[in-house]
Amino acid sequence: MINKKHVLASSAMVALLLAGCGNDSGDSSSEGSDDTTNLTFMFRGGPDEREIYESVVKEYEADNPGLKVEVIATDPDQYMTSLQASISGNDVPDVFFLEQGSVMAYVDNNILLDMTEKVDELGVDLDNIWEYGVDSYRYDGEQIGEGPLYALPKDVGPFALAYNKDIFEESGLEMPDKDVPYTWDEFVEVGKKLTNGEDQWATGMNVNWSIHSFIWSNGADWLSEDGKTVTVDTPEFAEALQYFVDIENKHNLTPSTEQAQTLDTYQRWMNGELAFFPAGPWDVSTFNDLDFEYDLMPWPAGSTGEPAAFIGSLGIAVAKSSENPDEAVELASYLSANIEGQQKLVDGLIQVPNLIDVAEEWASDTETVPNNKQEFLDIVQDYGRNLPAARTYTAEWYDEFFINIQPVLDGDQDVKEYLEEVQPKMQQLLDNAK
Amino acid sequence: MKNVSVSKNDLKNKKPTSKLFRSEYKAAFLFIIIPVVGFLTFSIIPGLISLYASFTNWNGLGVMEFIGFENYVTLFNDPYFWITLYNTFFLMIGIPIGLVLSFLLAVALNRKIAGRQVFRVLYYIPVVSSLAAISILWQWAYNGDYGLVNQALDIIGIQGPNWLDNTETVKPAIIIMTVWKGLGHSMLLYLAAIQSVPKTFYEAAELDGASPFQSFKNITWPMVKPITFFLIITSIISGSQIFTEINIMTPTGGPQYSSATTVWYTWTQAFSNLKMGYASSIATILGFLIFIITAIQFYINSRSQYKLD
Repeated sequence: MINKKHVLASSAMVALLLAGCGNDSGDSSSEGSDDTTNLTFMFRGGPDEREIYESVVKEYEADNPGLKVEVIATDPDQYMTSLQASISGNDVPDVFFLEQGSVMAYVDNNILLDMTEKVDELGVDLDNIWEYGVDSYRYDGEQIGEGPLYALPKDVGPFALAYNKDIFEESGLEMPDKDVPYTWDEFVEVGKKLTNGEDQWATGMNVNWSIHSFIWSNGADWLSEDGKTVTVDTPEFAEALQYFVDIENKHNLTPSTEQAQTLDTYQRWMNGELAFFPAGPWDVSTFNDLDFEYDLMPWPAGSTGEPAAFIGSLGIAVAKSSENPDEAVELASYLSANIEGQQKLVDGLIQVPNLIDVAEEWASDTETVPNNKQEFLDIVQDYGRNLPAARTYTAEWYDEFFINIQPVLDGDQDVKEYLEEVQPKMQQLLDNAK
Repeated sequence: MKNVSVSKNDLKNKKPTSKLFRSEYKAAFLFIIIPVVGFLTFSIIPGLISLYASFTNWNGLGVMEFIGFENYVTLFNDPYFWITLYNTFFLMIGIPIGLVLSFLLAVALNRKIAGRQVFRVLYYIPVVSSLAAISILWQWAYNGDYGLVNQALDIIGIQGPNWLDNTETVKPAIIIMTVWKGLGHSMLLYLAAIQSVPKTFYEAAELDGASPFQSFKNITWPMVKPITFFLIITSIISGSQIFTEINIMTPTGGPQYSSATTVWYTWTQAFSNLKMGYASSIATILGFLIFIITAIQFYINSRSQYKLD
């Protein structure tokens, strides 16, 4: 008899415990005192970034009495997992960082709040925020770039090309022009002069982050305009990939493949062994401390004659399930577009300002290194694009492109053969996503 | 032990009436319920949900839609699933190596050599260190240009490869690291087992004229067999779940997926590719495989059990 009672009691306890776990999402805001509004803000970043964001949020709290923001910060690699766990647990943070590539999936699954109207009501001047940054978070149910606004940009991350001024000076070559890009032939020619194969090379590029500029400026792309067809099997694409492979294998402008993994070429660049190396705004503070002078230049241009580069971005989104959507959108707008908020982030993080007027002022300062900060803005404004997976449902199809690419880079597999082999696989993954 | 068996009999025969007994019974019950609740909440319930999810097209964000065995059909035709499964089992080559090494170490550190306490601590430090920190350290150590491993090889005139970026070397590199990490744990268990072998056995063997090898083969080895068995099982189970090392040292699954493991692939599918249903089916198959392997091991072990009573 006792056993039965205990079983009953224990199941009741289990039920209570479970109920306890599930319930706290809804109550948390109502439990506070009556006039306090509680928001949760989840974001990711390195230690420095977290600190700065936390201080900006604190300031925001001070300016808005009655508002309490609970900050949840994670490491970049754990962010997606944490965010999705909160979604599965029906406890989505009110305001959170959103990856470009997640917009479609999150909107289709009713997670994001359409903030178009509220942003408008708040008087946020969207024309003063980079069009690229805003459009990355517009989605009309079919394509990214148009339709309602689901997030504001946290930042825009143009990936520029930097060059080592000291190496150029030593070689007696003319410095790269900041407005006229090298042609591919010129790039190889200059590169050869700057490579001694011992402790100095023209460059060392990681395919995952550097191939885009070559593909795009040759008129090729991973995806068709409508985002439905994988187009890596075009002749332009093959030509561009071949050029990228040749830089390393035929012209020997880079340390050998085994040594060319990011960390190593990054170290070599920092040691002053490479003449050209990609640089994002997040690199500036580190690069400014190096023993040599550097500056930014346009990427070499392929058959289109135009340089190309990618721009990364993160968005700041608001949950549809938020109980205080107005306050949440306000916080998001503050973080993205408030002048003072931006200024603090820019001073602390060395990110490209989101606000165009602030950014232009920032770039007009040609005294501080890098002198040609304008290059970052040119990328954002003129010739930058988003990564191919930023406008698809998931990145699986795009990742497939890189999984087996190593033999191609080593020159062990024919470029055309590889592209013809990988296209159907990518297409299938793209079709199956969603 | 005696008390417990007495009260067991009491329970069977009559209802316990003593007040003290009943309150103790309640307290004991509360102690038991905690792990049971934990097991239900964090193992059984998620396990069942995951099993159900494996029959749906759930993306981890929205609603689950039942699609029958579709995920399993996709799974058996997915080359990456087979590659990652192969990698996972390949990395288990480290298990026998680790067992032999840790046993030898335990034998060595069981002798009265100078500074053996220091050695014991040294070998145990990796076990208590954070796996993430260790993975980052080894990632640096394996760096092609500046890594400790290649610098050491350089001294003896060997030019080391870029360990983690090479399809041929990435698996051995990870095996070496996992063996190193697990050595202290197995060594400690072996050490305890060796020390618990009654000295009289060896004395008797010596009297009978047994050689050191014979007493090792007929006394030490059989006596530590339960530990070996325990270590094999736990290593295979944790080996099938290897993830952190892989995700930190080779975040994209290594060159051509050559270090991608099944759990890493499951995680990628679930969280990067929003295929929670598909990921659940991979997890289900992996769980099933682990269950079968463990069952086989228990069967083999029960047939060759060495008992000392």
